Amino acid sequence: MVYVHAISLGCILEVLLTISTRKTVIAGLAMFGTAAMLAACAQAPAATDDTNSAAASDFLPCMVSDAGGFDDQSFNQLGFEGLNEAAGELGVTPITVESAAETDYQSNVQNLVDQGCSLIITVGFDLAAATVESALANPEVNYALIDNAADLDDDHKVDAPNIKPLLFDTAPAGFMAGYAAAGYSETGVVGTYGGRQIAPVTIFMDGFADGVVYYNEKNDTAVKTIGWDVASQTGSFTGGFAAGVDSFAKAQALIDQNADVLLPVGGPIFLSAIEAIKSSGKDIAMVGVDADLFETNPANSSLFLTSILKDIKLAVSTVVAASGSGTFDATAYLGTLDNEGVGIAPFHDFESKVPATVIEDIDAIKAGIIDGSITVESPASPKQ
Amino acid sequence: MKLELRGITKRFGALVANNNISLTVESGEIHALLGENGAGKSTLMNVLYGLYIAEEGDILLDDVVQKFAGPGDAMNAGIGMVHQHFMLVPVFTVAENVVLGHEQTTFGGRLDLSAARAKVREISDRFGFDIDPDALIEELPVGVQQRVEIIKALSQDAKVLVFDEPTAVLTPQETDELMIIMRQLAESGTSIVFITHKLREVRAVADRITVIRLGTVVGDASPTATNAELASLMVGRAVELTVHKNAPELRGPALTVKNLSVIDSRNQSVVNNVSFDVQAGEVLAIAGVQGNGQTELTEALLGLQHHVTGSIELDGKPLRGYSVRHILDSGVGFVPEDRTEDGLIADFSIAENLMLDRSSGAPFVKAGNLQLGFRAKFAAEKIAEFDIRSQGSEMEAGRLSGGNQQKVVLARELSRELRLFVAAQPTRGLDVGSIEFVHTRIIETRDSGIPVIVVSTELDEVVALADRIAVMYRGEIVGIVPGNTPRATLGLMMAGEHAPATESGL
Amino acid sequence: MSATTTTAPAGRDSRKDGSERWTQTLRDITGGSAMISVLAVLFALVVGAILIAFTNERVQETAGYFFSRPTDLLRAVWDAVAGAYSALFQGSIYNFRATNFLTAIRPMTETLTFATPLIAAGLGVGLAFRVGMFNIGGRGQMLIAAGAAGWVAFAVELPAGIHLIVAILAGLLGGAIWGGIVGLLKARTGAHEVIVTIMLNFVALYLIQFLLRTPGALQAPGSNNPKTPAMAATAVFPDLFGPRYNLHAGFLTVVAATIFVWWLLSRSNLGFQFRAVGQNPSAARVAGINVKNVYLYAMAISGALVGLAGINQVLGTVTTGFGSGIDAGIGFDAITVALLGRSKPWGIFAAGILFGAFKAGGFAMQAAEGVPIDIVVVVQALIVLFIAAPPLVRAMFHLPTPGTSRKPTIRAVKTRQTNEVVAK
Repeated sequence: MVYVHAISLGCILEVLLTISTRKTVIAGLAMFGTAAMLAACAQAPAATDDTNSAAASDFLPCMVSDAGGFDDQSFNQLGFEGLNEAAGELGVTPITVESAAETDYQSNVQNLVDQGCSLIITVGFDLAAATVESALANPEVNYALIDNAADLDDDHKVDAPNIKPLLFDTAPAGFMAGYAAAGYSETGVVGTYGGRQIAPVTIFMDGFADGVVYYNEKNDTAVKTIGWDVASQTGSFTGGFAAGVDSFAKAQALIDQNADVLLPVGGPIFLSAIEAIKSSGKDIAMVGVDADLFETNPANSSLFLTSILKDIKLAVSTVVAASGSGTFDATAYLGTLDNEGVGIAPFHDFESKVPATVIEDIDAIKAGIIDGSITVESPASPKQ
Repeated sequence: MKLELRGITKRFGALVANNNISLTVESGEIHALLGENGAGKSTLMNVLYGLYIAEEGDILLDDVVQKFAGPGDAMNAGIGMVHQHFMLVPVFTVAENVVLGHEQTTFGGRLDLSAARAKVREISDRFGFDIDPDALIEELPVGVQQRVEIIKALSQDAKVLVFDEPTAVLTPQETDELMIIMRQLAESGTSIVFITHKLREVRAVADRITVIRLGTVVGDASPTATNAELASLMVGRAVELTVHKNAPELRGPALTVKNLSVIDSRNQSVVNNVSFDVQAGEVLAIAGVQGNGQTELTEALLGLQHHVTGSIELDGKPLRGYSVRHILDSGVGFVPEDRTEDGLIADFSIAENLMLDRSSGAPFVKAGNLQLGFRAKFAAEKIAEFDIRSQGSEMEAGRLSGGNQQKVVLARELSRELRLFVAAQPTRGLDVGSIEFVHTRIIETRDSGIPVIVVSTELDEVVALADRIAVMYRGEIVGIVPGNTPRATLGLMMAGEHAPATESGL
Repeated sequence: MSATTTTAPAGRDSRKDGSERWTQTLRDITGGSAMISVLAVLFALVVGAILIAFTNERVQETAGYFFSRPTDLLRAVWDAVAGAYSALFQGSIYNFRATNFLTAIRPMTETLTFATPLIAAGLGVGLAFRVGMFNIGGRGQMLIAAGAAGWVAFAVELPAGIHLIVAILAGLLGGAIWGGIVGLLKARTGAHEVIVTIMLNFVALYLIQFLLRTPGALQAPGSNNPKTPAMAATAVFPDLFGPRYNLHAGFLTVVAATIFVWWLLSRSNLGFQFRAVGQNPSAARVAGINVKNVYLYAMAISGALVGLAGINQVLGTVTTGFGSGIDAGIGFDAITVALLGRSKPWGIFAAGILFGAFKAGGFAMQAAEGVPIDIVVVVQALIVLFIAAPPLVRAMFHLPTPGTSRKPTIRAVKTRQTNEVVAK
């Protein structure tokens, strides 16, 4: 230890000497340099033995994001986490590329093929065309496409034999959340709004709104859903998947119409909804989507009534793990309540505020949906 | 205070703007700095005022060497400047302008204007200015605005005052009054540097004269020197100041303007019910102090003004209300008063500028294609004919000297078939050689039987060229008088007085 | 700063008002020397290299023990930068690792494919620059053109060949109208084109988004997604070198467009009037040029050229149907391309190919080396920065300032001439 300290001291002196001899260096730059050089005084690691780190596998999983990027707090990010988790267990390093625009997809997928990827996961319906094209041209590579059935010609069959669509029937989970929200609401108004008006978004809103209607039928109440109309498929959208004034304004508008439960659907737009709730000063609950936001956003955990879960992470890690062990199969994966690909999160802090009867009803609804006695359908539901 | 400049040299790159200039201004002396445009007068004064740092030489005040890093230093040392373009804020009052940059504030940052008002009153009483400290600058006549500039300089205790071309915007009467003020200032001990290129003024007011040419002092002169002597010092050779011309050969009325009025974009009436005519073969000069509606009048003739009433007829055909294109095609040639802004495109070649107003048809354009061969040939011819000193027809017009730029404009306008020629300020900013050239071409154009309108604020030019003179004042024609009308009469008319016996034509 | 950056004396320009100064600045930026462009690209690549090194994990790791084994850091920096730029090269020009020649030159065709819309839009923006206008409305013009061309391509049935031509014409018309609105508003009301184009971007975006959600308009029938159906095969640009390469005949349209713009600006009288208005609108007006019409025509042609980029996107690059992101930011990249190309047609053509190479190579860089694709965007942004600040580049490379090299020649001419007059 003494020896190490001596080295460090010598190192620091050396750094200081270097600086004092260079009088022309600007003070600020010198400070920065000092910090960097001091940091550079650590010990070099022993030369590593390269032979044991190489995995004895040729399996190379890869992923292309859509224009949202891997930090979108939504399906790109969840898929990315799932990929890394499974790849870590397999001991391989995946290649991941982000797209900046919809014209990039084709090139990104092609470049991954060129890099020798054995499984390419493409995130989002936007990439369907690029995925199908690449899959047909490269039958030896496997593909997994999130949130789209890869059915461009609309013949209810996957267009290429080596694409595995990863689909989620989130409408039933949204239904349960809608029932819970209606049961919790004191003002009798619940609100929802989305990012872009695309199927993977509106499916949440359909299920949610239908759940509210179901609550009204069962309990003879008149709880209203604002921000989305199932019959006409029209509603409130921010136009993109970014937190910001658009999202804030949409949330604000719902709050102004007396909604006391909000369901913002679409990646990070919920962050602006949190701001809107806080600035309104009212007692308003939120329903999260994709992950259990009570867990992933602990700073605001007290706001979340529940979350509609869509386990992209699990789906991706499952397909990566299967593919890594040589058992890739191209049949579509459909996340349902039954296989726990979708679901709703626990009520956590709201456990005591939601009427016990409602909680019981929700369990019954879940069972009913699974055994087929209750059907929840949305125009956006994945076609099988 | 005695000002001395010793061996001032100022370079811009390879160009020597001031070359070893030495100059002494005694206390209470009016020292005229005479030279053509571009001779280096303004550069020298900017060195004195701290705007430029000279490479060599010293500035001394009362024999003490000064180091000016900026105008602030120069002001503190007692040097004041009355700029050619007034540095006043039009929407501020006199007092506010006078303290601008040296504001005194009371508690809480409130502006203390009472001291400023007192100062304005004190100085205007001393020189008999009669200026209300609370008047808005934009409501004051130009001559009075200049006095505000003087007050501003004096309020900073200026002991040396620099007047940079102060008479360019003044009527002859206002000019005379300024001369008296300069005399008063000198008598009270202020040293004055008077920059000008107008010989008459120099001889009227200066105690001593230093002549600058091409950045060097070419000589001293006393106020008793004749105009011709001073002019030859300025340009380095003997100069003819008069234009030789024969009596006009009148060929009947060509342009008739009746009850013409122009309202500008700010909804001000700038030309008010003006009527005149021009005969083929004569020069009608429109005289007047800058800003009395001459610019707008010529623009109205060209179709460049939007709100014009009255009638304009050329050879019996109406021109008012037509596009510029139509008017040019009707045979109107036009030399705009702001050559660099309206007459030329600096980044275009000489050849391109020569076809500028003929870009829509033969002979320069056929079926939408530029006829580059024809253009090059045409440009080469005109460069030779008009003696345009250049490095060839593809040289950018912006790199030509002012005189050669004006020759390009003249060459373009005079090479069309004309029925009327309008030249606004045709020699502004030109050297004496170019002035001679331009004047000769204008008289040649007249002699070929084309009606010519010359707009000029220079009385010398008006008198030299005109067969008849229309004097404008505040948007109206005060009178139309013969070309040989005495200068004194013209001066009075430029100040708004009607001619003793106004006549409307020859 | 060295002495070479001393600005020329302001002279008597003090009376210039704001709009004149703005036009002058625009002229300075677009009119600089080609040398500045080349140096700006080089310097941006150097800064890009520094960023690549900084963001590389291996570099960060080895920097931790720089003093005990400095060679590790140096090697890591070299590996990161060389790897990234060699991936950029191999992804955009020639892939050495490919097994045969035809595969190896594929990146070059990719570069041209990406360059195609950039050149088209760059020509549009550059043309507007030459007329003294800043066309920031590339996004809107592309979207409208893409919408018009796309609709004709998937909804109308016509014989092959004619269908493609009609679709192209529809797109050009769409772009011309969207640009022409700007010219019309500027000419008739004096509205500033920067504000109008930005606002029209939003109008176009939401209009297209609305149409994409409206069945029977642009939305694919039976679909719930805001995306059009695939283009009919009769209206798609044919592949230039077979299905193996993405390069399509749209590239030929931009070559034609480049020749057209060259002819327009340097050989036609309309272009002469465009340039005259761009350099000095008041002199143009005095010379009888109808400045208002010039604004209108210029913006319409500019819009049509930018529209050609949108047409290429939907009929060439992404023929499987498009969404509202089809402009892919090209409307804005085009400003960079036009600046880098000095608003000259062939300069823009070259700049477009360079940016196409950046784009094509950027994917390879990300896939092969894990370099964030944002680095490429940063490099592009730096290029604009250096071009917009020529004194900075001049100072760095000790180039002479134009003011000092030009002023003396003016004076020299004047001096010589005066002397001759004297001698006469």
